[in-house]
This record gives sequence, C-alpha cells and structure tokens, in this order.
Amino acid sequence: MTEPVVAIEGLRKSYGSVLAVRGVDLDVTKGEVFGLLGPNGAGKTTILECLEGLRRADAGRLRVASCDPQAEEGHLRRHLGVQLQSGTLPGGLKVKEALGLVCAWHGIEQRPDLYDRLGLRELLHRRFAQLSAGERRRVELALALVHDPEVIALDEPTAGLDVESRARLHAEVRSLSAAGVTVLLATHDMAEAEKLCDRIAIVIGGRIAFCGTPDAVTAAGSSETRIRLRTRLGRLPAADVGLARFLRVKGDYREWTCTDAAAAVTDILRVVQVEHDVVEDLRVELPTLEERFLELVKEAERA
Amino acid sequence: MRALGAHLWLQLRLDVREKGTLLNFYLVPLVFFFAMGAVFASIDPALRAVLAASMTVFAVTMGAIMGVPTPIVRMREAGTLRTLRVSGIPRRAVLAVQAVSAFFHLLCVSLVIFALAPLAFQAPLPQAPGLYFAVVAVLLFASIGLGLLIGVVARDQAFATMLSMIVFLPSVLLSGMMFPASLLPRVLRWLALALPATHAVQAFDGLAYGLRTAQNPALSLATAGGIGVIGWVLAIWKLERAADIQA
Repeated sequence: MTEPVVAIEGLRKSYGSVLAVRGVDLDVTKGEVFGLLGPNGAGKTTILECLEGLRRADAGRLRVASCDPQAEEGHLRRHLGVQLQSGTLPGGLKVKEALGLVCAWHGIEQRPDLYDRLGLRELLHRRFAQLSAGERRRVELALALVHDPEVIALDEPTAGLDVESRARLHAEVRSLSAAGVTVLLATHDMAEAEKLCDRIAIVIGGRIAFCGTPDAVTAAGSSETRIRLRTRLGRLPAADVGLARFLRVKGDYREWTCTDAAAAVTDILRVVQVEHDVVEDLRVELPTLEERFLELVKEAERA
Repeated sequence: MRALGAHLWLQLRLDVREKGTLLNFYLVPLVFFFAMGAVFASIDPALRAVLAASMTVFAVTMGAIMGVPTPIVRMREAGTLRTLRVSGIPRRAVLAVQAVSAFFHLLCVSLVIFALAPLAFQAPLPQAPGLYFAVVAVLLFASIGLGLLIGVVARDQAFATMLSMIVFLPSVLLSGMMFPASLLPRVLRWLALALPATHAVQAFDGLAYGLRTAQNPALSLATAGGIGVIGWVLAIWKLERAADIQA
C-alpha cells in the first residue's frame, strides 16, 4: 500500500472552551486531490492550519511530506505550498517583487512559466493594493506553487474568482495532481469538490461525518435519482411505472424518482414502446453532493 | 544571507513608497528638531551645547518606539505575516528586516541632525565624534528592541499606540533631554533608569561631549545596550512561540 503523503491521527484542537476539532483521522496519498467540505465553523480551516504549522494541535499526530508540521517548520515550507483563506501582502508591494522575494527565500530563480500558466504576466508590475480580489487569489496561488511543493493546501481558492479564473485554477489543480502533487482543498463549493476531488471528507462539528469518493458520498445518502421524460404524444400515465415512483407533471414532462435508475429507465421505456409513443427528451438526474451534504448537516443537527 | 539581503533591499524600497514611514522616521523628528532647536537655542544657551545629542535622542526614540511597532502590528492584523510565513519567509527574518530598515532610516536622521545642528543653531560638535556615533548606535539598538517588543506584544494597533506612549512620553520628559534630570523627584529619576533614552543622554554627555554626569557614562551606555538585548530577546521569543496567534 502507498505511504500517505498527508497523515492525521487523532487530531484535537480547542479554542478556550470551544472544541473545534474532536479527533480527526485522515490519510491522503500522493497525487490525490482531497477535499475538505463543511459548513462555516466546522473545523476545516483549523485542520488545514494545524497541517500548515500555523496552529498548535492539542493532541494528535500529523505528518506532511514526511515531516512534522508542528516541529519542523523550515522543512515543512520546502515541501508544502499554502494558499490561505485570507492571505494578504503589503499594498505597496508589486507582484513581481513579491514573487521574487519568495523565490529568493526558496533559493530559486523566478518562474515565468508559472506566471504564464496562471495568467499573471500582465499583473507583474502592479502593486498588490491595485489588484482585484480574484487577481490577488491568483498571485497567492503563484506564491504557493513557486517552489514546486509536493503538497499544496488551498483554502477556498476560488472565492471571488470569475468564471475564467476559476476554470484556469481547476485546470491547474488537475495538472498538479497529474504531476503527482497532492492537493488539499477546503471549499464550500460542492460542484467544485465534485468536479475536482478524488476523495472528500465532510467535516461537521469538528468530526469527519463522511469520507470517500464524491460518488460514494452521494450514493450513501437517502436522496433519490430523478427521471424526467418528454414524449411526442404524451401518452405515458401520470403514475408509478415499475420501479419508478411518480412525482409530478411539470410542463410537457413527467417526473419520477427511483433508487435504481437503470431498472427504472428500462421500465419507463418499455411503457413508451407499449403506448407507441416516441421519446423526445430523457433526463436522469443523480442526487448531488450538495443534497447529500445538506442531509448530513441535518443529521448532525438532529444528533 | 542573499535572501535576507534581497528582502532588506525590497523593504527599503517599500519604505520609500510608504507615507507613514517617511512621516514617523523623517518628517516629524526633523520638524521637531527645527522647532525645539530654535526654542532651546534661544532660552538656554547651555542646552545648545548638547542640542544635536538631545534632538537625536528624541528622533530615535520617537521613530523606534512610535514607528517600529506600527508595521509589525499591521502585518499581524492584516494576515501579511502569516502569508509571508507560509510562503517560506521566517518570522524572525521579517522582524530583522523591519529592525534593520528602521536602524537605517533613524541613522540617516541622526546624521542629518548631526550635520545641521552646527549650521542651523551654532551647536558645537562633540569632542569625540566616534563615541557620539557609538552612543547613537547603541541607542538605536535599544530603542528598536523596545519598538519590536511593543509590536509583537500588542494585540492591535490601539494597544500598540498606548504602549508606545507609555514608553515615549517618559523618555522625552524624564530622560534629561528637555531639562536636567536632577530637577525631577527621586521616584521619577528611578523610573527613568528603565528607559534607554535616559542612559543615552548620560552617555552622550559624558563620552561624546566630556561633560560631568550623574552616572558613569560607560555604565550608562552598557545599560542602554542591556535594555536593547532584553527587548530583542523577548520580542523574538514571543514571536517564535506565538504559533497560535496572527503570526
């Protein structure tokens, strides 16, 4: 089995009387994009900050790229790139100067290839105070990537980004992962997590409520698949069809829900054939990560 | 060392772009120098004898105690220190760069005062210019050490301003810079011994100008240096152990 690049065992962290993280265990392997999802105050950022060596854990064992983030900060910085949720630089500092400074501290030359990839070329001579929120996020990402780290931690990386910048960041995360870089991603954006992450952990109340692939997380819920169908003659009954439970008529569409989509669609198509009707539009909508996430939050609130 | 040098050079360029730095380190001390120099020279010719030293103590104390904490607290409050830290720049390097840039600016102001005092107010040059600048260097080291400590300890900008005033006002009023410390009540004279400005005034008078002083001027110089060492050590210790705060 592959040695995990990021390992957390029994992490606990409190702020005064507030227990923010209550015994978290996680393993993330090389090249994996691992998402941390959760409502505000769930403990995602605290987990990341403990891994980044910014917060001292009360208990637990942490490893990032074979170093202890709580004790080996110098070593950690060479192997870990971090984009903070609320990072900033002095307003008078130019982008090129900031990148040059970080390169100097890592003992490397400037990285024009990276600046091109992240679309920073036109920003290099602008001061940090003159950048938009999205442009700042791109600069912060460049600061995190400039030394080619083995692990990168991104906290809400697409917050405030426009569609193009978001797509560029997603492409960057995919190419990092393909190159063997391990990506830790804390986000509120379910669609982003579903699209980018190999595995996700849903953090609720300082605990991991669920961990697995996005498909496994959605499949584990009670949410059902929705089938929407429009036929040319509209002859289908507004009723249950085999395994498909009738939901409603909406415009020209009949809607059903089911747990076994393949079997339910087969049953519906059989009726279409029997009725000598013709399918014009058929949509199968799987339960989303967002629905499953909300379900888990509700379960946690009830508990 | 190359990275530290590049960082320092960048900081000096940033300081030139920053109005607050120019105000704290240059404009206010020099305006005060001209205003107070004119007053001192007219009301008491004896004060004119050590005018350059007195105004240097004022400028350095103000620049270091009022000016040094501000960017440190601002960096902590805004999250800049965290961003630099996760980008691989050690916290103590950030502190060192702030300190060295402040040292540079305040040394420049001290040189300007040293050069202009004889021209503007007919203030005599010190008997021992080498010792004069040795005292300037120790005063800078000590005052910047206290400024760093305030910057690291203060929770926010308002608290930093309060701490700075607690150190700055007694430094101006009790150190002997404005009037002889012998006129002060004994308790205030004792209190003044905790301030590097007091020891710097004694060291300037005794070592650089060859005047009689209440304390041994060499011992005063050593004490000022000692206060500086304490300030620096405590500031670095506090910053390094602050894993769980804004740093």
